[in-house]
Amino acid sequence: MAQRLDLLDPADVARLGGIEIVAEGVVEGFLAGVHRSPFRGFSVEFTEHRAYQAGDELRYLDWRILGRSDRLFVKQFEEETNLRAMILVDASRSMAWQGAPERLTKRAYADRLAAAVALILLRQRDATGLVTFDEHVRQVVPARVKAGQWTRIVRGLLDTPDGQGTAAHAALQRLTALLTRRGLVVLLSDLLFDRELALTALRYLRHRGHQVVVFHLMDPAEVELSGPPEVRFRDPESSVSVVVRPRELARAYADTVRREIAAWRKACRRHGIGYHHVQTNMPFGLALRLLT
Amino acid sequence: MSFIHPLALVGLAAAAIPALLHLLQRRIPPEIDFPPVRYLSVAERESARRLKLRHLLLLILRTALIVVIVLAAARPLVPLRGGGAHQPTAVVIILDNSPSSGAVVDGGLVLDRLRVAAISAVGRTTFADRVWLMLCDGVLRGGGREALLATIDSTHTGWQRLDLVQAVERAARMVNAQPLAGREVHLFSDLQSTALSSSHADVPSGVRVLALAPGRAVANRGIAAVTVSEGAAVIELSGSMAGNGGTPQPVPVTIRLGGERRDRGEVTARGLATPGSDRAGGMPRSAVTVPLPAQSLTPGWWVGEAALEPDELRADDRRPFAWRVAPPAPVTATATAGSFVAAALAVLQDGRRVVAGRDVVISGGEAPTGSHAIVQPPADPALVGQANRALAARGVPWRWTQLGTPGVIASSDLAVLTGVSVVRRYRIEGAASREQGADGVLATVNGEPWLVRSGDVVLLGSRLDTAWTALPAAPGFVPFVDALVNRIVMGEAAVASAEGAPRVEFRTRGADTIGATVFGPDARESDLTPTTTALATSALGGKDRVEVLSAERLAGERFSGTRRSDASGLLLVLALLLAATELGVATRTR
Repeated sequence: MAQRLDLLDPADVARLGGIEIVAEGVVEGFLAGVHRSPFRGFSVEFTEHRAYQAGDELRYLDWRILGRSDRLFVKQFEEETNLRAMILVDASRSMAWQGAPERLTKRAYADRLAAAVALILLRQRDATGLVTFDEHVRQVVPARVKAGQWTRIVRGLLDTPDGQGTAAHAALQRLTALLTRRGLVVLLSDLLFDRELALTALRYLRHRGHQVVVFHLMDPAEVELSGPPEVRFRDPESSVSVVVRPRELARAYADTVRREIAAWRKACRRHGIGYHHVQTNMPFGLALRLLT
Repeated sequence: MSFIHPLALVGLAAAAIPALLHLLQRRIPPEIDFPPVRYLSVAERESARRLKLRHLLLLILRTALIVVIVLAAARPLVPLRGGGAHQPTAVVIILDNSPSSGAVVDGGLVLDRLRVAAISAVGRTTFADRVWLMLCDGVLRGGGREALLATIDSTHTGWQRLDLVQAVERAARMVNAQPLAGREVHLFSDLQSTALSSSHADVPSGVRVLALAPGRAVANRGIAAVTVSEGAAVIELSGSMAGNGGTPQPVPVTIRLGGERRDRGEVTARGLATPGSDRAGGMPRSAVTVPLPAQSLTPGWWVGEAALEPDELRADDRRPFAWRVAPPAPVTATATAGSFVAAALAVLQDGRRVVAGRDVVISGGEAPTGSHAIVQPPADPALVGQANRALAARGVPWRWTQLGTPGVIASSDLAVLTGVSVVRRYRIEGAASREQGADGVLATVNGEPWLVRSGDVVLLGSRLDTAWTALPAAPGFVPFVDALVNRIVMGEAAVASAEGAPRVEFRTRGADTIGATVFGPDARESDLTPTTTALATSALGGKDRVEVLSAERLAGERFSGTRRSDASGLLLVLALLLAATELGVATRTR
């Protein structure tokens, strides 16, 4: 039986070829496991209810439920066409880091995951675009559904070098102005920036009616601290360094990371933003399944 | 605290290793890019206090671990009050086996108690110690531990008195001269009060004197001395009254004569002496006069033995004695000698104590004639000057001066004179120095010479007449004249006394016996009264150097000044605890 690339180790899959090959292979495997579009939007074919969130259009409110129970629910429909999706890829310097040579950098993982998501959306005839950014917006591929769009998106990824800057939240704020038509926004980032500032931008997108999904990418080495007995860790973006003994600080660091992830998850949930923590050793198929 | 391997302490420098490693490691840490430094900073900030405490604790633990291991390697010796090894010590063990140690107290020999304590003390010595043993002979015996133990084991009661003050002083000087860490003198004695002379031992600082406390006091009576004169033996008793409630008890005395001179046969005399309360030399003394059988007056050397009933101390219950009975002296009394002298000589001649002859001439103030002369002052005071010139011409340093005050005669040589009153007398003064003249004084009145001897001339301060003295009318007059003509003016054979096993040794010159030495224990040994702790402490070196202790306490205190225990084992256990603690802190506080 042929192996499904979406379930293999991302680094192993990446060694098969470029982004296109990898993304196509992953998507093929992924779609072989689902029969309908995993992405839900607002169309004519009702699927389920969900709680109303600020920014939802009032026309989708279920007035019957409101009348019966005085609670706000909106109807969700299986999307068929006309979903506008924009994939935001963080290209800051911190994304170019890998904890071990045998693993992908966060940026490489994000590129491949973004290409796969874009391919799935385009195959569903959804208009899909790409924005890459660090402290500036680097590449913008407007959302289209026409032929060759995926190639443009992939080229946009390839043409975006590893960033130099660090202040990604500023770029996020500028991106909100570019996304005028509401739709799906997928952010792929390591979220190593100020949480409140970033959330402000994401909340604004949510307020504009976008459905926002955040992929918090982390290298496994960023979750479990390890290294020589004593080491000076330097932030590649800010050049701030700190000398620590990893064995001494491992537990406290792990607690800090857990708290940070929990804080992101809680903040995103509070604002109706989808949040997923993804480590770069997670098979792409599992990461894609988080979107469903 | 001292160390068996002090050079190992150099390793204490290694205690700086943890701190140095800490500093060196901090100097060149590798640098690694790590994007989520912000998380690290947060974690470090939150853990800073715990980490600092941990680092400090680990640094202390590791430094202490090295210090403890180095100290253990140096094998420290810590002072101990109980058991444990001690530092090399010079020690003199004084085992007082003087005659008094032969006393039986509570069913056991005092010497046995002392010997056990001494063996225990020697047994505690090590090969690094220098040990001497001193017995009652005062000789310091060196040697190995086994040899000293054998010597102690074979020690019996001796016959010599040990002056504890001198013994301790000698022992202290000996140990003080040794270049060893400890210096101790262990004194195992019955601590008789008479064994401590009036002086105080000069014990150098740094020398400890540990004395075994004396046991229970017991009563004892011994024969201090026996003298024979004029057909009677004077037996002096000595001893302690302890145990009798201080009440003098009559003491039966047996005199046995000729015990060693079988050719003279053996005669026995008995007497009963009631000890008096008079003291001589600090001891209660008493004397009893036992008349000797007539055959003991036979000319020649006599030996005898005085014996008491056995008591707790047997060594002083018997004492030999010797004396010489001279052959009857050829005596003549001049007309001025007086009728009492003539009558006494007649009695003595009848008793064959004297014979007619001119070897001894008794005169009444004339110039001394004959080879031996007994001279009374002249009856006419006007002739005193002439008589003095005649004495001076004979080479006699004594002379009569003015009349002296009446008084009572006192004499230690002639017991029969003691207590006899004198109503008229000339004072006798020495022409030479007083010291020279005092040597020949045989009796005194009011402290002034009354009977003196110079060479072969004897001078009397009074005429032997009842107008001058009551002596001619006293019962002892004839024995006095007997002693005067046979013994005093003729010169007595020397009988010396010495310490040793009871016996008599004669000194000979050619075929003649010219003297005798009587051996016996020192009379002071008879007094078994122990001294007080305060007196012993004071006499033996002072309270800062002397401790009088029971056997148990002495066993604990000996070598305690230098007693050390190897603490390396304890330190190794401590090192293990420190290592375990370090391991726990290093692993469980991450």
